[in-house]
Amino acid sequence: MWSSVSAQNGQAGQTGAPSYSYPPPAYTPVQVRQNFAAAYPPPPPPPSYPVHVAYGQPQASLPPQATYPPAQVSPTPAQEQPKKKIEWPESVRRYVQRSFLPENLDPSVTRQEMELKLKETISQANDQGLMYQINWDAMGLPQQMIVAERKRAMNMAAQAASTDTNRDDSLATAATGMKLSKKRKSGDFASAESAPWRTSVDSGPSLEDRITNPSPEKRQATEEATAKNTNNFQKQLEKRQKRFDGGYRSTYRSPSPPPNNGLVVGTCQTLEKRYLRLTSAPNPALVRPEPVLKQTLELLKRKWRTEGNYSYICDQFKSLRQDLTVQRIKNDFTVSVYEIHARIALEKGDLGEYNQCQTQLKSLYQLGLGGHPLEFKAYRILYCIHTMNPGATNDILTDLTPAEKKDPAIKHALDVRSAVALGNYHRLFQLYHDTPNMGAYLMDMFVTRERLLAMCKICRAYKQDVKLRLITEELGFESDGQAAEFIIEHVGPQQVEEFLQTRGDDIHFLTAKASTARCFEGPAQLASKKVDIKGQI
Amino acid sequence: MDTIFNEFGVAMTRRNGYELAQTLNPELSDDMLRLVYKTANHASIKDLLKRHIRANTQHLPHVDLDEIQMWVDVFHCYWKTCGELLAIQDRSPKASWVKVYEAWKELFSALHRGYMSPKVELPAWTIPCLYIVGKYLRVFAMNADEERSNNPNQETTETNFQDDLDMEADKFVWLRDCGVQLNRMFTLCLNDRANLMESRKWGIYNVANLLFKTYFKVKSPDLCKNVLRAIIAGRGDMPPFEAIPKSQRVIFKYYQGVLEFLDENYPQAEEHLTEAWNLCHKDALRNKELILTYLIPCHLVTTAKLPSAKLLEPYPRLQQLFLPLCGAIKKGELHAFDLALQEGEDEFVKRRIYLTLERGRDIALRNLCRRVFLAGGFEPPKEENAQPLRRTRVPLDEFVAAIRLGSQEKLDSDEVECLLANQIYKGFMKGYISRPHNMVVLSKSGAFPPTGV
Repeated sequence: MWSSVSAQNGQAGQTGAPSYSYPPPAYTPVQVRQNFAAAYPPPPPPPSYPVHVAYGQPQASLPPQATYPPAQVSPTPAQEQPKKKIEWPESVRRYVQRSFLPENLDPSVTRQEMELKLKETISQANDQGLMYQINWDAMGLPQQMIVAERKRAMNMAAQAASTDTNRDDSLATAATGMKLSKKRKSGDFASAESAPWRTSVDSGPSLEDRITNPSPEKRQATEEATAKNTNNFQKQLEKRQKRFDGGYRSTYRSPSPPPNNGLVVGTCQTLEKRYLRLTSAPNPALVRPEPVLKQTLELLKRKWRTEGNYSYICDQFKSLRQDLTVQRIKNDFTVSVYEIHARIALEKGDLGEYNQCQTQLKSLYQLGLGGHPLEFKAYRILYCIHTMNPGATNDILTDLTPAEKKDPAIKHALDVRSAVALGNYHRLFQLYHDTPNMGAYLMDMFVTRERLLAMCKICRAYKQDVKLRLITEELGFESDGQAAEFIIEHVGPQQVEEFLQTRGDDIHFLTAKASTARCFEGPAQLASKKVDIKGQI
Repeated sequence: MDTIFNEFGVAMTRRNGYELAQTLNPELSDDMLRLVYKTANHASIKDLLKRHIRANTQHLPHVDLDEIQMWVDVFHCYWKTCGELLAIQDRSPKASWVKVYEAWKELFSALHRGYMSPKVELPAWTIPCLYIVGKYLRVFAMNADEERSNNPNQETTETNFQDDLDMEADKFVWLRDCGVQLNRMFTLCLNDRANLMESRKWGIYNVANLLFKTYFKVKSPDLCKNVLRAIIAGRGDMPPFEAIPKSQRVIFKYYQGVLEFLDENYPQAEEHLTEAWNLCHKDALRNKELILTYLIPCHLVTTAKLPSAKLLEPYPRLQQLFLPLCGAIKKGELHAFDLALQEGEDEFVKRRIYLTLERGRDIALRNLCRRVFLAGGFEPPKEENAQPLRRTRVPLDEFVAAIRLGSQEKLDSDEVECLLANQIYKGFMKGYISRPHNMVVLSKSGAFPPTGV
């Protein structure tokens, strides 16, 4: 029986020093105490903190006793434990001193009670790491807390008396506790412990934080333990309790939050945030909720138009995407974020980033969240042409529906693919000049390669020479000058004379010579090597 | 139950791995399944198994207590699997392929321990047990996935710290897991350092084949490359490939060929596929059909050869797939080719041969050009009795007209030139284009090197 009680105390994280100091048999009417504890639910520790360990040695976290001279606490076993060396902040020392100032002393509160209260308050703050956050100077004094608690206990009793017909019993039990000084202390204790969070007037954040629930298993364990120990008397008490508490459940705090499944709802209100790869669970305080993210997107769009600083924009978009991910936001807004980032990345030729967006968009589109799936499917085809990935190309072809194949952008991309596959440079460059949306940025990635391959063919097929005009037109150059530049770039400036000759009004490109010299074979081969881009699907 | 353990005892005595594996076959008739499962309950099964196994291995001195315990574990899992299978058969509400899969996976783990534990060290002749475990692991995983796709509302919430969402509604959760398990099995076989004759390395090809099948199914054929790499790296101390059972070699070569095919390494692909073709049992039509599905397009690209009608005769599906294309290529009918390709697109794409077959258009074009050349007839003889010479200077317009007609598309002469340039570059046609004269000048000897079409 006792063991269950102490377990309860331990779990609940109460400063159970007195209860530890007496051997179990000293407590005969344990039920009473237990019921007090139950009636004023013990403030359970926040589950994530290692409370048990910390509370196991409550003395350790007490400020040095020497700071207030008349410290004649009867030594408890816990006190004899080796003290942890802790640097107490000046503010805490001041708080302790203030508590023991003669003008602040309350005659109704014994020194022991005060010490225990202090111990509890401070060690709690220490355990929660709030030692430096709490404004100790504004903190309520322990004696005030105790008085407040007593008052509340009285109110409760009064309430109980007014509603409960069996009040004699309850008072009697309470009285048994009160009469014996030792018992009384423990009784006081139960109420004292519950006080801070009940009032939460003068307790500050540290006490606020305590109001968390024990994990469901623990609670169940406690319930079971209680049930086992229950005798009739206790049942009666419980019933009573139930009546003025409004049910068994209410003896505990509101149901604990559902177990964290990684879902975060952000609270951050700043629009801009640097991207940082997450290595642990996200901190809600640093995550922006959707409305804020929407503003962020507008801001970024504006900034991209006015400033055009890609590295900044990319970084911001990545953090934006991260915030969406950790909050599992999947909707049309998500789609538009990825689409815009993909377009910007395309414009800047950042294929790695583009491809990440593309991958995400692919699955987002599968969820039917709107956006521009056709436009991006067309990009994906062009992208595959660039990366020369037959497997992925085949996958895309599998995915396309007949209706999609009729879409102008997709049809264009498919035509490009077929032209590239068959080496039809004529058609390829016609298509190049007529690319819908932003596909031209992607095509730019592989036109040089295709031009080189086409040059190989032209050199081989035409004798003796062709007008430069043909190359300009067939390979989609904007002017003869550009075509000439392209040739010079690949045959080398020294040999230009050999391959380009002016006759009359025209410049002629000596294809036969270039063919025997195999000018374009090497570069073409080099350009056709596998393209490897990070983040590829 | 008795029969199972009698067989078990016999197999252990004879050291026959395949017989032993049969005792673990979960594909039993309904009645057998019930019989096996109902012989015991959860409390009694272990003792029962122990009794049976001990009784049937008494005469084998090398089977010690540890090994018996291991077999008890294995058969305990087997019994549990039977129970889950029975639940499915009985349409019990709690029945689930996932449970079957999990129970079977446990069986694999028990067996794995048997091989790895220094106390038991299961001899290598027992590896057929691994084969059967791997085989059904895959079957059960596929069933579990199917079951999952039928009840899609089991959303799993996992915490991930990835930057982006990975929402790919995964159709192959269990099969992927199966891939992991099979990979364990593969390493188990690969890393056996025992003397070759007693090595589990004999099992790698079979397990590799299971892995290939799994990886292809989950649409990540790239993962197969790791397996291939491991096998090639350890080739020095592997059992000779010729010594592996033919059935395993065929599958292995087939996948090796298909993998090369998907990477567009057609010559290597052809080599492997041909090997598979030659090894394949003559009556294994289905397998031969699969091999041909890739070998034919492969051959088309490497040698520009088409399958004969006789070859395709036993395979109506292949005929349907390839004959329209072949006819169009042969006659140089571009339009018919385009139509046939379009017609079969879905099927071709599914089999991943579309991109390869597309290249057949070049050959069709070549045949068309050749017709233009032949239609040009002969040069007027310069001398009496001279060998008649074909006209080798063909006006470009003739090609333009022919290709326009053939493809039923409106092409300008520049595009036709481009197509011809491709033909010349790819070696289908010998000659050159002369722009000033608007002529195509073809080689006097062998303007169209034979392609065999």
